[in-house]
Amino acid sequence: MDFEFLKSKRLLIVDDEQELLDMLVSILNSEGFNNIATAKNIKNALALADSYNPELAILDVMLPDGNGFSLMEQLRQNGSYPILFLTARGEDEDKFQGFGIGADDYVVKPFLPKELVFRIMAILRRTYKDENPHVRLHDSEIDFDKAEVTKNGEHIALTAKEHSILNVLYRNAGRIVTTDSLCEAAWGENPFGYENSLMAHIRRIREKIELNPSRPVSLITVKGLGYKLVLKENK
Amino acid sequence: MKSIPKLIRRFTGIMLLSSILIIILDIVLLYIYTSRQKPNSSPWKTAEETASGLKYDGREYVLSGNIASELENSGIWAIFIDNNSMQVVWHTDNLPGTVPMSYSVSDIAHLVRGYIDGYPAFTGEAEDGLVVLGYPKKSFWKHMWPSWDYSLIANLPKTILSFLLINILLVFIIYVTANSNLLKSVKPIIKGIQSLPLKKHVYVKEKGLFSEIAISINKTSEILQSQDRKLQKRENARVNWIAGVSHDIRTPLSMVMGYASQLEEDKNLSDSAHQMAAIIVKQSGRIKSLINDLNLASKLEYSLNPLNLEKENMVAIARQVVVSFINMDIESRYPVEWQTDGNLTSCFVYADKNLLKRAISNLIQNCISHNPSGCKIYTKMISSDGFCTIIIADDGIGASKEQIEKINHSPHYMACDENTAEQCHGLGLLIVKQVAAAHNGKFCAGSSPYGGFSASLSIPLH
Repeated sequence: MDFEFLKSKRLLIVDDEQELLDMLVSILNSEGFNNIATAKNIKNALALADSYNPELAILDVMLPDGNGFSLMEQLRQNGSYPILFLTARGEDEDKFQGFGIGADDYVVKPFLPKELVFRIMAILRRTYKDENPHVRLHDSEIDFDKAEVTKNGEHIALTAKEHSILNVLYRNAGRIVTTDSLCEAAWGENPFGYENSLMAHIRRIREKIELNPSRPVSLITVKGLGYKLVLKENK
Repeated sequence: MKSIPKLIRRFTGIMLLSSILIIILDIVLLYIYTSRQKPNSSPWKTAEETASGLKYDGREYVLSGNIASELENSGIWAIFIDNNSMQVVWHTDNLPGTVPMSYSVSDIAHLVRGYIDGYPAFTGEAEDGLVVLGYPKKSFWKHMWPSWDYSLIANLPKTILSFLLINILLVFIIYVTANSNLLKSVKPIIKGIQSLPLKKHVYVKEKGLFSEIAISINKTSEILQSQDRKLQKRENARVNWIAGVSHDIRTPLSMVMGYASQLEEDKNLSDSAHQMAAIIVKQSGRIKSLINDLNLASKLEYSLNPLNLEKENMVAIARQVVVSFINMDIESRYPVEWQTDGNLTSCFVYADKNLLKRAISNLIQNCISHNPSGCKIYTKMISSDGFCTIIIADDGIGASKEQIEKINHSPHYMACDENTAEQCHGLGLLIVKQVAAAHNGKFCAGSSPYGGFSASLSIPLH
């Protein structure tokens, strides 16, 4: 899957340390992100957000003229782009507060540049995935918009449950997703006891996406843990 | 304060028992004493014996010798009043001169009840007269009007019993009042002493019987409180200090890590420069995990991290942690094998999800940290004996018996109250131990059947 287009998204980074801002810009530039704006305080950030219309904001929590949580709430009034916190405040309560007000991710300093880039890409993929609704697998293609699979020129409809299960797998493509997370995605908050139903759904999904469902190449079982969706490019 | 009613019961019991014992003792003593006083009835008997011992031999009255001598020895005089003449027809030699020699009927009635000229008189009936014995003055006290209301005599046992009961009741009331006053003043003292270990501020009114003890308790409480405050302050300061340092170190470390990893990937640099950058990245990673662990460990050590306990499926939590490690391990240097029985899909424990995740992560991370050249990690979950246990083992370099012994039994420097430069294991395992302890669970390190290190964390089942 080609995610390069996501790197052209406009990023806004707010942190009071100029050196850290410089480093972030340098890292993101080297990873191919070229539309980056930075601000050192809330005042500048709000002004910049108005003119620049960011598509993703990376915010520090502790800023000289207030905190990142309130900045996020103000930014959200003007746009619904995703927000990632990048902060030295690593306490669980801080994370809960961040996620509680709707942050898309929360990265605690110090961080590995690669990890930050992965997380930024994951958020962008989740947020802007609709721009790329076709997912190419080894034997088939999934169109999430239409909720259908195309295999050998034949269109096969996906049920709502199959759609949500595949959606979670696709968003974590190439990574294992636990059975618990899949059950939660399909059946909600208290997913205990749905393992057998999940297996039945996985079987049906395989019948739709695999040429040989008994020897799957796209939807792989990781014994005891969960499942993994392998995209064509990843092979 | 459960001891107060118990104390009252005991006091009252002892009092009642002693009252009853005293009454029994009194009765016994009275019996012994009165049985010795049998001679009380003897004046009448002696008088009768004298009457029967007095014989008329045709000329005069003669008293048998041994009675006569007995009377004489005891200082008793005797007279015999003839029935017909009402005159004294015989008397002992020691008869005082003041004793009348003739008697009227009323005199007889009077002397039977009382005295003759101050001598207690006792009578014995002879064949044709009356023998009167006169005992020395003040040797007997005679009741002059020996008659009582019949019902009084008939009710005497009842009356005595009720008197006794009233007495006991009276003693009881006096005793209870006296004791309850005592207990009342003891009560705040006991309450104060009981509150001392609860680390509460204690104040006992400094008056009454036990004012000195009250003053001591108040002083002790003040000392304890101030020590507690100091200790708490110091612990808070330590935790805050660690939190502050670990916070402040994060931003500069971000830059070290960030630039070092950029250098690591800079294609214009030499291999040795790449290597150096890689080492900087790796070591910064170690500092990062150290500050993360240090912060949590210090909070757990001083119980400043409130547990967010909820019913959690430990299998799901472990699965999530394991999967995140597999997903992160892009180079497959640390493959993780999930060996849990397929039937064990849930294992509910009452736990803080984040702490449990952290502990399991630390166990897996421990395998990775100690095996820089890679190793295979085996994870297994068991539900038995009321515990849900996760066992993380590896086929890496492992640890010696001594090291394992130290991990299991020596305190970490952070939890150790002695000065020791010897560090037995990293903070990661300390956190696992602390998480186990916070959940009333168990931690155990050992050797793995695959040749490396193995560690288990058990949490009680919900």
